[in-house]
Amino acid sequence: MNETDRGQTRGGLRSDQFSGLMLLALALYVGWENRAYPLGSLQEPGPGYMPLLLVIFLGAMGLLIALWGIKSAPLASMKWTEATRAVVILVACAVATFALERIGYRITMIALLIFFLGALERKRPLPVALVSVGFSFASFYVIGDLLHVPLPRSPWGF
Amino acid sequence: MAETFQNLLLGFSVALQPSILVYAFVGCLIGTLVGMMPGLGPLAGISLLLPATFGLNPIIAIVLLAGVYYGAMYGGSTTSILLRIPGEAASVMTCVDGYAMTQRGRAGPALAIAAIGSFVAGTLGVIGLMLLAPTLAEFALRFGPPEYTALLLMGLFILAYMSGGSMLKTLAMAALGLMLGMIGIDVMSGYTRFSLGIVELGDGVGIVPVAVGLFGVSEILLAAGATAALPVQRPKLRELIPSREEFRLSAGPIARGSLLGFMIGIIPGSAHIISSFVSYGIERRLSKHPERFGQGAIEGVAGPESANNAAATGAFVPMMALGIPTSPVTAVMIAAIMVHGILPGPMLIQQQPELFWGFVASMYVGNVVLLILNLPMVGLFVNLLRIPYAYLYPCILCFCILGTYSVSNSLVDVWILLVMGGLGYVLRKLGYDLAPVALGLVLAPMLELSLRQSLAMSAGDYGIFLDRPIATTMLALGVVLFLFALKPLVFKGKDWRDQVGLEKQ
Repeated sequence: MNETDRGQTRGGLRSDQFSGLMLLALALYVGWENRAYPLGSLQEPGPGYMPLLLVIFLGAMGLLIALWGIKSAPLASMKWTEATRAVVILVACAVATFALERIGYRITMIALLIFFLGALERKRPLPVALVSVGFSFASFYVIGDLLHVPLPRSPWGF
Repeated sequence: MAETFQNLLLGFSVALQPSILVYAFVGCLIGTLVGMMPGLGPLAGISLLLPATFGLNPIIAIVLLAGVYYGAMYGGSTTSILLRIPGEAASVMTCVDGYAMTQRGRAGPALAIAAIGSFVAGTLGVIGLMLLAPTLAEFALRFGPPEYTALLLMGLFILAYMSGGSMLKTLAMAALGLMLGMIGIDVMSGYTRFSLGIVELGDGVGIVPVAVGLFGVSEILLAAGATAALPVQRPKLRELIPSREEFRLSAGPIARGSLLGFMIGIIPGSAHIISSFVSYGIERRLSKHPERFGQGAIEGVAGPESANNAAATGAFVPMMALGIPTSPVTAVMIAAIMVHGILPGPMLIQQQPELFWGFVASMYVGNVVLLILNLPMVGLFVNLLRIPYAYLYPCILCFCILGTYSVSNSLVDVWILLVMGGLGYVLRKLGYDLAPVALGLVLAPMLELSLRQSLAMSAGDYGIFLDRPIATTMLALGVVLFLFALKPLVFKGKDWRDQVGLEKQ
């Protein structure tokens, strides 16, 4: 018996049940946060009125998705083969975002590209250096210098 | 009619100015390249180019962005036919028979028919836009807040009905988008809602970080790990000419795809994607030899390619005439025009005739440019596909960060981009369509304002939507479609997707 079959026999959580319940949880959270805003009246709806309608609608949809999701694929059988790499990519981008205004656009992009091409994709050093330096300088020149979009510079003016 | 032609002449006097011609060409060129690159569809392309249009005049800005949009529709077919990789989602159906033709050594005619079909559909679509948008805009002058509320609700119901996936999931995503649109200062009361103490969120969540995150970054995360460059065929110019039989077989699908695509394009949702699926299903159903589909039937290329281009043009009708986006792409384009202080809507055509008619005329020019770009130069463009994906995706990611940051020089936008990228990745893995999120985000302020104004007008009586004939008709239509969409959920039976033969794709 393979993993998928075992998942189906065990009757574990289904993917649609999981996502539906997540949406319901989100709706409940937003509904809780919405207490801070006055609902107003029907004649004069307040800032909390529309969010409340949406929370009820999203919650209902989440519940229906979960209820109808009994025949969807078991959550355990879903393949997340690319997930580790996806998380690494997102974390690298997050670090770059944190660094962007601190060390400037060009250094950040060079570092990010070196990480992607050199560490993650294991490309040879020369192409990595050429692409990372070339991309960051060329994009800075086009966007920053030609189109006059202010891009962050490092504390050293670079 | 005479007035229309006079206006069109005015449009051509604008569109044929050298500066506009150059930007139309640049837009088409960028669009073609963007359409060919997996992970960088028209939406991401337009969003990334948005900051570059801030310094341009509004006509040039919209001509440039529209060129990217329909250029991407053209470009997406090249990778589908040559590599079986849809450059963007609307080209998925082209992969099936387009790639089968490539395997049989008929890549050239497949590319030619895709380009000719796109040209015909694009041109017919512009004629439709030219005739329909001013009439619709005139009609929309009668709209008050209740009509706008009904129109937006009808749009969301149609979106759910036309969605390729689960209706419940589509509606949930639309609600999620609408909720994202609630973030920021409430214009009627001045309250700052759901900002989590982040000052930048007072202005709300921008469409660019959300769109680029959901569609660009999530695509890259899904494709993480794909590194190999595929062998690429480079068809020569003389190999592009289709046979007489191929022309004959393509004529009907091109005509039907153009009409169908334009009509679907007007209604909300991922129209260009849906139209190509529906067109493929219809052509297979109409064919005397449906067994040829999937084996390299030219009709399977001609129909979907024409439909997605016509839909791309059709989407401009409600955008220009009503100021309402029917797709994330038109939502970003509305944002681009609004930066220049111009509000798309019923008054636009009267108050800014140069912009509207210049835009229409530039689309005629753009279609010719694209035909020239996509036939003789296809061999040149396919060189782009030789770049290994391992080199391509880091650069695309850097562009996503750069483009998002450039819109308002805000790191908060880049954080939103990354959160949306991660969220989009998970949602796509779980089978959710993301277009309604982007659409809901843009429609939220309009829907909230018109609903609250309607209730204020009627002293809190929801009956106002039933007292006004236009609003009632639109709501009734929306509810009927909603019930139709519910039918397959409640009663076991085939829905329209099965009817057009999409169940086997």
